[in-house]
Amino acid sequence: MTSTPKPKQSLSRRGALKTLAAGAGAASLPLWARYTHAQTAEPIRVGFQIHRTGIGAAYGRWYGRTTDAAVKVINDGGGINGRMVEIVAEDDGTDPKRGAEVVEKFATQHNCDVGFGTLFSHVVIGSAPRAGELKLPYFVVSEGHHVASGMLNRYTLQPGITDVKSQVQAMAPYVAENLGKKVTMVFPDFAFGHDHRDFFTAAIEAQGGEVLEHIAIPPSETSFTKYFPKIPRETEVLYHVMVGPAVLTFVKELGEFFGPNGPALFGFIDSLEAVDISSPGLEFLEGTYFWEGMPRYAQADQSEHETFYRAAVGVDANGASVSDASDVSTYAHMFGCWETLHVIKAGMEAAGYTGPDDRAALIEAVEAMTDLPESQAHPQGAKLFNGKTHQVFGHQYISKVEGGKMVRVHTTSIEDTLYPDEVDYTTQSF
Amino acid sequence: MIRVVLFGLAICWMTPGAVQAHASEQGFVLLLPTDVYITAGVAAVALTVLVLALVPGELAQRMFTPLALWRRGRVAPAHVTSCLSALVVIALVLAGIYGRRDPLSNPLPLSVWIVWWIGMVTVQGLVWNHWRWSNPWTGPAALMVRLTGERAPLRYPAALGHAPGIVGFLAFCGFLLADPAPLDPARLAGIVGGYWLLMLGGLALFGPRWLLRAEAVTMLMRLYGRMAVLGRRRGRLALGLPGWQIAGGPRLPLGAGLFALLLLGGGSFDGLNETFWWLARLGINPLEFPGRSAVVTPTLIGLLGANAALISVFVLCTWVGVRLAGGGVSLITALRAYAPAILPIALGYHIAHYLVSLLVDGQYVLAWLSDPLGRGWDILRLGAYSVSTGFLNTPATVKVIWLTQAGAVVIGHVIAILLAHVLALRLYRHRRQAVLSQLPLAVFMVAFTCFGLWLLASPRGM
Repeated sequence: MTSTPKPKQSLSRRGALKTLAAGAGAASLPLWARYTHAQTAEPIRVGFQIHRTGIGAAYGRWYGRTTDAAVKVINDGGGINGRMVEIVAEDDGTDPKRGAEVVEKFATQHNCDVGFGTLFSHVVIGSAPRAGELKLPYFVVSEGHHVASGMLNRYTLQPGITDVKSQVQAMAPYVAENLGKKVTMVFPDFAFGHDHRDFFTAAIEAQGGEVLEHIAIPPSETSFTKYFPKIPRETEVLYHVMVGPAVLTFVKELGEFFGPNGPALFGFIDSLEAVDISSPGLEFLEGTYFWEGMPRYAQADQSEHETFYRAAVGVDANGASVSDASDVSTYAHMFGCWETLHVIKAGMEAAGYTGPDDRAALIEAVEAMTDLPESQAHPQGAKLFNGKTHQVFGHQYISKVEGGKMVRVHTTSIEDTLYPDEVDYTTQSF
Repeated sequence: MIRVVLFGLAICWMTPGAVQAHASEQGFVLLLPTDVYITAGVAAVALTVLVLALVPGELAQRMFTPLALWRRGRVAPAHVTSCLSALVVIALVLAGIYGRRDPLSNPLPLSVWIVWWIGMVTVQGLVWNHWRWSNPWTGPAALMVRLTGERAPLRYPAALGHAPGIVGFLAFCGFLLADPAPLDPARLAGIVGGYWLLMLGGLALFGPRWLLRAEAVTMLMRLYGRMAVLGRRRGRLALGLPGWQIAGGPRLPLGAGLFALLLLGGGSFDGLNETFWWLARLGINPLEFPGRSAVVTPTLIGLLGANAALISVFVLCTWVGVRLAGGGVSLITALRAYAPAILPIALGYHIAHYLVSLLVDGQYVLAWLSDPLGRGWDILRLGAYSVSTGFLNTPATVKVIWLTQAGAVVIGHVIAILLAHVLALRLYRHRRQAVLSQLPLAVFMVAFTCFGLWLLASPRGM
């Protein structure tokens, strides 16, 4: 779906839109009219900031596939306001400085209507200020807390994926009630791990539990056996969020250390995203628990919307590519691209978006959103958008590894994920 | 200014990590018994040294004797294919400017980095010297001479030697390793188009010597071409062990020898710079790599430092070898003689380092070939095929890939040792002298095997 930016066509899309449907948008047009209009109007250009290279490349591939699938569905359904969606993909190299350049290209060279799709937090934080300066609506899919924390700006929104703060705190009720109240946390000793440490420690204490020990592992560590004796004997739950190339070694050594008699294990699937959970060496994970943004394995009660989503993206019941069963997707995160594009579509339609002059109206239209019901546009589940913090909130899932697959055992409420607002972007001027 | 500082601080300290580099291939490599493999690989290379010291010298020489095949018939005229190659370069540059922005959908970055840098360079080094036909300069230059009737008006300044080509190659390595976006189609179009024109201009002004002294790609290709198993010998096509053309060929000029060392220096730094070890030297969290733009200067310094270190060690080993052998051969002569023995190691590194890229990004080349204009075609009948990296998430395939990479490194070193032995026998009259003169280099090569395999086994953070 990637495409060449073309020079602006002389045909006035504004004029065409006025003729066809003033204000309310072309969504209400009969299909034939949408079709004919779609053939003549200039496309909606979505600048896709993709991690093609750099440390995010593995995610980038699946974000790309999901984006292509969502755009196809949107275009097959008549596009946005009767206009086709065109993706202009630029590689940001998973690099903040490059990310800012890419955002600038979207706004100044490629005539993009919006920027979209960034995953890695440092790229979001590096790019968002430029998007704000250039007044380019910037829809990120990063799950970082930076949007809701207030460190970004009015032009940056995260309407398609929940943030790490809400994910982590929503785990505490289930963990305290079902796995135990005495927790030891093992996490990499940098910002990512510190977020988990801070958010979860507060959340488990609110549930009457406690963290017995925080074990911070230096990020460059590749062997972990020496840290395990620090785990207190009375630990009931071991909360782990290791990431990076050594994570499989971590799981293997943990299994060797505890054998079958360890504490309950709770982790975030980020550690093993795109890794087959039944890989040799990961047997120890059997019976352990994971947070999942969206259950990788098709569940018995999978909704029709998720069935549609899986088929459209090309993912099988095990969360792997339909063209290669060993190619496991980044299923817990990539739905964010699909849902964000549908929010952009709904926002543009609500705002009667006709071009860059309507960018502020688009942002106001998204800010006005609240309930986003589970649907084909939101296959991960129902969501609640907070217009003030520009952050969406939604259900989280806890799965248990059973027979080498992950089976969902708990769905949090949306209320479990909420926390007090830390910013009100709507008070900032455009 | 304050804003910039605050922003920098935000990047450094406040980044609430979303999703980090995930386990994948590297994770499975860390589960492999790589220390056993490394020991075995180093032992194989060391054993080669030992065996060579004991067996008669003729045996090694005989190994490099090629098998004469058929007499070469008429082949496609190089100028015609070179002109076609130039047209392809022009088309690719235009695609880089006007084509799709996604570097893995645009044919220019795919052609430069996958087809040429990984594919064509490897074929040149392993199979045969195709650059004679595939270079995009000699044909257009011949055409210009024919059209204008003018030969090159200037003489290439001899004082420059190989310096322009060496500088060009270092600049290429710098772009490859340090530039924040070497795949960006527009940026690459400017560089490829500009370089092609500049070199064509040089060729027109100074004649063919320009390509041999100032054009880095031709210099690289000619050196690797001497490693190929197919070559010409006494008018016949001949097939031999990689390196047979070096074993029986003329000694390299010093500048070309230096260039051969840079091939290995650049290649091995392009691997070292991704390791946890190197990132720790820079004080960078390997799980949160801040992006290439944050390390441009350290990467360039590292590149130059790695090359300087390699050259120093090589010169030192050669000098000690000359001293051990005792008299008769100058250091410069020995350097010129031994430098080509580095080529198999460099080629082995090239193959090992880029194997995974070839397997992954090669799929994007196929996808592009199947639908070159982005019209939804399926010329290659790939069907509902999507680029897959599943083989990097499966222990069995990761093991095969790792052992293939390790094999390339070990075989490269074994051939280098054999080659150095034969070159030493050509340099010295007495076998004992030859063995002694080669000894320090052989030790260096055994150590370098260990380094190369360690690189493959090390966790990477980029």
